[in-house]
Amino acid sequence: MLLEVKNLKVNGNGKEILRGINLQIKRGETQALLGPNASGKSTLAQVILGNPKYKITQGKIFFAGKEITKLLPEKRVKLGIALAWQSPPTLKGVKLSQLLEKISQRKDFQLEEGKGLLERETNVDFSGGEKKISELLQILALKPKFVIFDEIDSGLDLKRLETVSKTIKKELVAKGVSVLLITHSGAILQFLKPKMTNVMVDGRVICKEKDFRKVLKTIKKYGYEKCKKCKLLAG
Amino acid sequence: MKNVKNVNYWQVDHKIKQIFERKGAVILPSPTAWEKFKWSRAYFERKPKEGYFVWIKKQVDFPLTTCITIASPKISQDLTNLLVIEKGITVKANVICNAARDNLCGTHKARGKLLLKDNTSLEYNHLHRWGEKDFVSPDYEFILGKNSRLVYTYKNLFPPENLQLKTTIRGGKNSSSNLNFIINGLNSRIEVKDTLFLEGKNSQGVVRLRLVGRKNSQIKAISKIVAEVAGRGHLDCRGLLIDKNSTISLIPELICQSKDAQITHEASIGKISEEELNYLRQRGLSEEEAINLIVTGFLKLEGRGVYSN
Repeated sequence: MLLEVKNLKVNGNGKEILRGINLQIKRGETQALLGPNASGKSTLAQVILGNPKYKITQGKIFFAGKEITKLLPEKRVKLGIALAWQSPPTLKGVKLSQLLEKISQRKDFQLEEGKGLLERETNVDFSGGEKKISELLQILALKPKFVIFDEIDSGLDLKRLETVSKTIKKELVAKGVSVLLITHSGAILQFLKPKMTNVMVDGRVICKEKDFRKVLKTIKKYGYEKCKKCKLLAG
Repeated sequence: MKNVKNVNYWQVDHKIKQIFERKGAVILPSPTAWEKFKWSRAYFERKPKEGYFVWIKKQVDFPLTTCITIASPKISQDLTNLLVIEKGITVKANVICNAARDNLCGTHKARGKLLLKDNTSLEYNHLHRWGEKDFVSPDYEFILGKNSRLVYTYKNLFPPENLQLKTTIRGGKNSSSNLNFIINGLNSRIEVKDTLFLEGKNSQGVVRLRLVGRKNSQIKAISKIVAEVAGRGHLDCRGLLIDKNSTISLIPELICQSKDAQITHEASIGKISEEELNYLRQRGLSEEEAINLIVTGFLKLEGRGVYSN
């Protein structure tokens, strides 16, 4: 097992956001995490990366057999964990090329879509799609073992989504990198075909299903609110 | 210093190491110029002890470079500098003042007058790098003739223990000034006083301050624009506080003496964004590396626009 989250409970701003999460991802495996707005998906991603804003009240996180629950964010990154943010902050005065140079663990990649962004200040006046390309570039530069993509498919048109998916497949999945796709719409799943799809509602993973198409169909039919009543419910 | 052969005036402690005069420019020690050119006395005000005199008489094809260094302990420099640019000339100047080592306890006092005659253009890069125990007090006055243009950037990433920086700009008719003060406070007491006088009709100017308070720094900036006639001016003062023992005080002052003038200001002091910090740490940078990168970005002003005519 590469990532193991055990019975994780997390508070943020004095409120319980995650209420006992269990998640296991093997080496080289792609999984999906679906859920409605404010269900705790992005919080889980931030907690796995060690954002000090959130307080873990119970449970543990393991990565490659090592407990990382209290590890600093930068040390988790050094172990090979990476997160592509849904809404990354702007870094005024810091060009994307400058940031990539600082964080890069590899020099052997280029992304055609990213060329026009390199000499611009990171995320400053970037469109939604440009932010996603910038995030992908940074993730590739980190040479990770496990990547969480938080809503990488939002704000991308179909052509760009296909390009981004192909890049993830070629540069990460094909090289044995584990991937967790957090998605609201599920648009990226048809390209990356996760082995397991998890559904999160109200801070709990309420469903685990191998066939992502079934999950998408069920959500489309009943909505997330009725998900709990679904016969696919894993309990 | 690297590439010293191209330095036009180079002084170490009180000794002139090099004067490299080139076509179109007269470069002399200030005391010599006082004796040689009677007209210069009006600008020097009193007989100078040391410093440089640069008179750009014709268009030059090189950047004017000066370097004043403190290299011995407890040196006290008292410089008077004069730069005169004749009509219609475009000049770039790189002006470096520094301490060769960290613990010299030196004093660098500099008074300077810069005369930009009509239709001139000056890009003046003023770079300071001092030791932790130095005392530094530059006092510069720029006088801009008709249609002249000034881009002045003062950058001090390695500040002395005490810095008193005074800058005065007098903008003539249709002149434009773009002033940038970039100061990184590290264990320092810093006082910045800049005043832009819009004296000539349709003169305009933008003053930007970027101040960082780190490691027990006390920074005070009094930034003023005085519009005497129809003109436009803008002040943009920003401070970033890194540690809890530092303080930054920003005092913007706008004085409008003409109903046809427009002067504005924006000022803010803030701390480092937790979100930015966390983002960079999630890219593998340590907290200190992340702070340094955010500060570097904050202090970057290159490429920011001025008023466009």
